[in-house]
Amino acid sequence: MATAENVLTVRNLAVGYPVDGRMVMPVNGTSFAVRRGEILGLVGDAGSGKSTLALALLGLARPPGRILHGEVEFGGRNLLSLPDAEIRAIRGRDIGIIVQNPRAALNPMLRVGRQIANVYTAHNAATSVEARKQAIDLLALVGINDPERRVESFAHELSGGMAQRALIAMALSSRPELLIADEPTSGLDVTIQAQFLDQMWRTVQTTGSAVLLVTQELGVIANYCDRVLVLHEGQVVEDAPVKAFFAAPQHAYSQDVLRLYRERGSAFPVQVAENAKDLVSVRNLSKKFPIRHSSKFVHAVDGVTLHIRRGEAIGLVGESGSGKTTVGRSLLRLVEPTSGAIAFDGIDVTSLNLAELRQWRARAQIVFQDPFDSLNPRWTVQEILEEPLKLRGGIDAAECRRRAVAALVQVDLNENLLPRKPRGLGAGTLQRINVARALISNPEFIVLDEPTSVLAPRARNGLIALLVRLQKELGISFLFISHDLTTVRFLCQRVAVMYLGQIVEEGTVEDVFTTPRHPYTQALLSAHLFPDPSRRRVDQKIPATLEGEIPSPIDLPKGCYLAGRCPHAVEACRTTPQVLSGVASGGSVRCHRVMAGEI
Amino acid sequence: MTAIDAPELERKRTDWLFRIGVFIVAVVTILAVIGPFIGPYDPTLTTPRVAVPPPTLFELPGAVTGWLSGSATHAPHFMGTDVNGYDVFSRVIAAPRTDLMIALLANGLSLFLGVLLGLVAGYYRNFATELLMRVSDVMQSFPVFISAMVLVALAGRSTTNIIIALAFVYTPIYIRLTRSEVMSQTSRGFVEASRAMGASELSIALRHVLPNSLTPALIQSSVTIGFAILLTAGLSFVGAGVRPPTPEWGLMISTGANQIILGEWWPSVFPGIAISLTVFGFAILGNALEGRYGDG
Repeated sequence: MATAENVLTVRNLAVGYPVDGRMVMPVNGTSFAVRRGEILGLVGDAGSGKSTLALALLGLARPPGRILHGEVEFGGRNLLSLPDAEIRAIRGRDIGIIVQNPRAALNPMLRVGRQIANVYTAHNAATSVEARKQAIDLLALVGINDPERRVESFAHELSGGMAQRALIAMALSSRPELLIADEPTSGLDVTIQAQFLDQMWRTVQTTGSAVLLVTQELGVIANYCDRVLVLHEGQVVEDAPVKAFFAAPQHAYSQDVLRLYRERGSAFPVQVAENAKDLVSVRNLSKKFPIRHSSKFVHAVDGVTLHIRRGEAIGLVGESGSGKTTVGRSLLRLVEPTSGAIAFDGIDVTSLNLAELRQWRARAQIVFQDPFDSLNPRWTVQEILEEPLKLRGGIDAAECRRRAVAALVQVDLNENLLPRKPRGLGAGTLQRINVARALISNPEFIVLDEPTSVLAPRARNGLIALLVRLQKELGISFLFISHDLTTVRFLCQRVAVMYLGQIVEEGTVEDVFTTPRHPYTQALLSAHLFPDPSRRRVDQKIPATLEGEIPSPIDLPKGCYLAGRCPHAVEACRTTPQVLSGVASGGSVRCHRVMAGEI
Repeated sequence: MTAIDAPELERKRTDWLFRIGVFIVAVVTILAVIGPFIGPYDPTLTTPRVAVPPPTLFELPGAVTGWLSGSATHAPHFMGTDVNGYDVFSRVIAAPRTDLMIALLANGLSLFLGVLLGLVAGYYRNFATELLMRVSDVMQSFPVFISAMVLVALAGRSTTNIIIALAFVYTPIYIRLTRSEVMSQTSRGFVEASRAMGASELSIALRHVLPNSLTPALIQSSVTIGFAILLTAGLSFVGAGVRPPTPEWGLMISTGANQIILGEWWPSVFPGIAISLTVFGFAILGNALEGRYGDG
């Protein structure tokens, strides 16, 4: 593989950690090469050794781990056999790195310009005035407005997106030949993620650096990478150009990861009967949280109206802070709505007293985002699963156990999990246990609050397939809260898009995904990275995305909440509150310009 | 991402500390049970030999063999006798019965009260529980020793009153520890999940929140027991503790203190060493437990 065009060549690299006297090898005989000017994606499950590998390329290992053997050839030399001083000179100058959680990677005590200048002067002979000028140029290069002012900022004065860009600027300060980015966008909203990756792509094109992009997101791979490496149990099991990878994955693990993408043809598998009745009807639901020591409120949910039919799955999508989680919790009265009406199969949920509410809760369940947090760590799986039954009472121990086993089987788990405790089980398994617990009281409706967001791609696919099957077999209605449009498209029949506590567009998944009407929906969809290399974002003329950031939900704009960021905004948008109005195809949109046919 | 087990390393680091702690605590506990019966003399009866110094290392073997063969007139005084003729060694090993019992009961009482109040204060955050926290702040801001002394002085010198006084000064620590843990546990997902299943708040508090909030208080117990022993001895030293002739380390130090100036160091120094070792043992056990289980 060692051709002249390789920036970096890795041969038989292994990293080990001593655990109880033996060596655990997260990276175990890995070989690959990074070519000049390419973006190479590195995918793999949690624990597959991705981050360990990324660090090892710089000759680093987190103690007590160490690099056992192998070669990392860079610029004709083996980095692993270089003296410390020489490899330190290469780190940051010839190989840049962007770590996970970049927000925390900025020093809060130093001005951003100083930090960039420090990296620059560490590798180049430069006066402080030159370094400062270099910092300003770099901030301008990564698309930060007003860089002269921003070099004086501290980390907390930058928005999330800007902090990310400052880090790219730092990593690129010495024009490295190779940039290693370890999950640089995990935890970012899709619009910010797209801004960041677009910027990285553009910068790489202008500087000619190669990038090793470590990620779990197939969408990121499909849209930005030229080539894909799949790491599984410490070894590269697949090394393919991105299009070939998506078209015909070779390794069993890759095929598993790409299952949702490959089964796209059979999407929308569950048909809801035309005459199905509304199970849940929410009218004008609002939730305001008072702010301490202030007379102001956070308007988390602002007049949401939503109908969910029996057997239907509705996706509720939006960026963080859009109020989608609060909607889910208010529906079950886990937070008390400030105003509005919730009807469930003819029952007025908002007027139930505490005893009636507890009784009713068997019919409407919830699965939370974090599987590690939502199971009591001191309880066995059996105790966890039997809790809802014990709360009902009147069921004997043998019957409880039988139903716990049945619930486990329903979520494709084995009954030998019953005596285990959550500790040590994987996120995917734990989330299935959460689903099983929700199912055990035979609910008619389940709120799924971002159940897949902390799962690795393979576990995520498995869970979505499970949910589709449950919906088909049991006819349960779902409110599926997610920021991941790919899974929403696969699981849901209808989708509602939220922005700042309001639903801005609602309709069937096909309608909304193929012909989004509201400018916010359009922006959200264009920023979302679908795992489809035939429509790569970088190959297209990038459509106008939203400017700036989400306004504060405390002091809301008077007119349309999107007016400040919307490319179509006119004067009337800023002064007139918008209403959600039905459109011909059956959905509804909250935008007077769309309704007037102007957009 | 990778399997670096930090708690594993921490456990290895604290292993030998843990063992020393367990050893000392075990010895003190065994003495609390059998200590009064195994000494060569009755710890509450005087001997005619007053202020006898302990045998030197050269004299020791002779004294022991003499005693065992029956040629000596009386059993050796390993740690000498005090000004009243009590055998210091018999009293040093009998004292854990008094000291440890007081410390255990006081700790148990304050642990129970503190955890209960801490659970309520952490679970319901309203005016009443806010008031409770401020009151416990005030209690904590008094010097522990002075508070205990005043309480015993007011209520009278009895073992029960000493226990109540100690429990009173240690309860605020447990309230605070438990409350902060309860506050973090109530925001956990499984608490909300249980609520979503229809569980009542009482059942959530007792089944989910309480068991997950106990660890810090239980770890603190080991440290508190050590300090309660110290405080019991301190109270005796200033005359606010148990009454003579009950064998108790603080009382022994206090009785011997007047004679130190005459060169009779042994009636005070041996119980002093016993207290130091015991407090040290409980403290390092607490530390090691915290290192092992502190983060859940």
